[in-house]
Amino acid sequence: MRSKRTLFLIEVAIFAALAYLLDIIPFLSFKIWAQGGSVSLAMIPIFIVAFRWGLKGGLLSGLLWGVLQVAIGPASIYYFWQGVIEYGFAFTVLGLAGIFAKPVQRAIKDGKTKTSFLYIMLGVFIGSAFRFIAHFAAGIVFFAEFAPEGQPVWLYSLVYNCSYMVPSFIICTLVVSFLFNKQPRTLLSAA
Amino acid sequence: MSSSLIIGQYVPGNSIVHRLDPRTKITVIFFFVFIVFFANSVLSYTTLTVFALVTVIITKIPIRFIMKGLTPVWFLIIFTFILHLIVTKEGTVLFDIFGFNIYTGALIQGFAISMRFFLLILVTSLLTLTTTPIEITDAIEEMLHPLKKIKFPVHELALMMSISLRFIPTLLQETEKISRAQASRGVDFKTGPLKERIKAVVPLLVPLFVSAFKRAEELAMAMEARGYQGGEGRTKLRELKIEKIDIAVYILFTLVIAIVLYTRS
Repeated sequence: MRSKRTLFLIEVAIFAALAYLLDIIPFLSFKIWAQGGSVSLAMIPIFIVAFRWGLKGGLLSGLLWGVLQVAIGPASIYYFWQGVIEYGFAFTVLGLAGIFAKPVQRAIKDGKTKTSFLYIMLGVFIGSAFRFIAHFAAGIVFFAEFAPEGQPVWLYSLVYNCSYMVPSFIICTLVVSFLFNKQPRTLLSAA
Repeated sequence: MSSSLIIGQYVPGNSIVHRLDPRTKITVIFFFVFIVFFANSVLSYTTLTVFALVTVIITKIPIRFIMKGLTPVWFLIIFTFILHLIVTKEGTVLFDIFGFNIYTGALIQGFAISMRFFLLILVTSLLTLTTTPIEITDAIEEMLHPLKKIKFPVHELALMMSISLRFIPTLLQETEKISRAQASRGVDFKTGPLKERIKAVVPLLVPLFVSAFKRAEELAMAMEARGYQGGEGRTKLRELKIEKIDIAVYILFTLVIAIVLYTRS
């Protein structure tokens, strides 16, 4: 059991590093959003850990990814609590995809491509949805002060955050389920 | 590619700010961010600005470098300023541009809010500019120490953080190597529509993940061979120590807080 624990810690750490990396490599992400947020493949490693190690692994690697962004930069932090929500909470909840770790693994082992796709989509959706809620809420609460009075802040936050979360969600679902179905042995063995 | 991509913002140096205990820096920045919102008079803003600028000068980091790091934020600061100019209608009318009346109150409020913004970003970026990520990790581990009582895995998190930091450059090299190998086979990452580029990424991700798993396994084996068994009784190479200079900084900063609270209207 010991050995698995060490491996768990290291894999979570390395995949958080991968997530950080995939977000900053110029040709892999599309950063046109002024106040942070990007369409990138960065959430993929987090979802892989989540489906491989379950809820705990997913949450930990997500949290780590958020902390990495704050510690090395670039992070768009304007307020303390905004930072906690958008970097501490938002990335951690991506790991909620891990709730579906067991069904996903079972479906893949049985070779049920459609079932596994469904569960992966559900997992990725839950993770993305919670991350979206965090950014959305932070947008309303913290960026409202800078917006002019009378402008519907929630609408701005909704559009702004949807504009990168929706494409990211679609891309992640497709790539993650593709990877799990093409490389089941690499992604599931030893776990 | 690697030369154009700067990972992290740390600028090596030997200034007082660089040598401060990272815990001191984090604490001061934490309270600075807090106190900025209390400033509401010319004097209190001036105090904070002077404190921030003096710190910048002490770090000996080229101003141009800091400003470059703030480029994405300039847009937001200027945007905020213009917005307040247009929307706020207090004080007397100064002049009008294209039918918009610009009020004195708007000018003052816009300037104050932009300044607040600027100060927040400047001071928080000073942390990553003068502190290595490893130092930040150590500091966070020390500061979160009390959480161990409620079984929060502080040590594990700090260890994972160090591993992540250590592997980012390695994995970056790996990514470059694989992307070059795949590009030589005709994969095109850099042009084409989004859909094609996403497809092109799969032959990059598969070998990258496979090698990441391999590295993880090797590291786990190496750590166990050296007797790693969790946080109990583990010692550190670098010990954090509060020096006289840290205490001096705390006293000085308390003074700044006092001045801000005293001068606010």
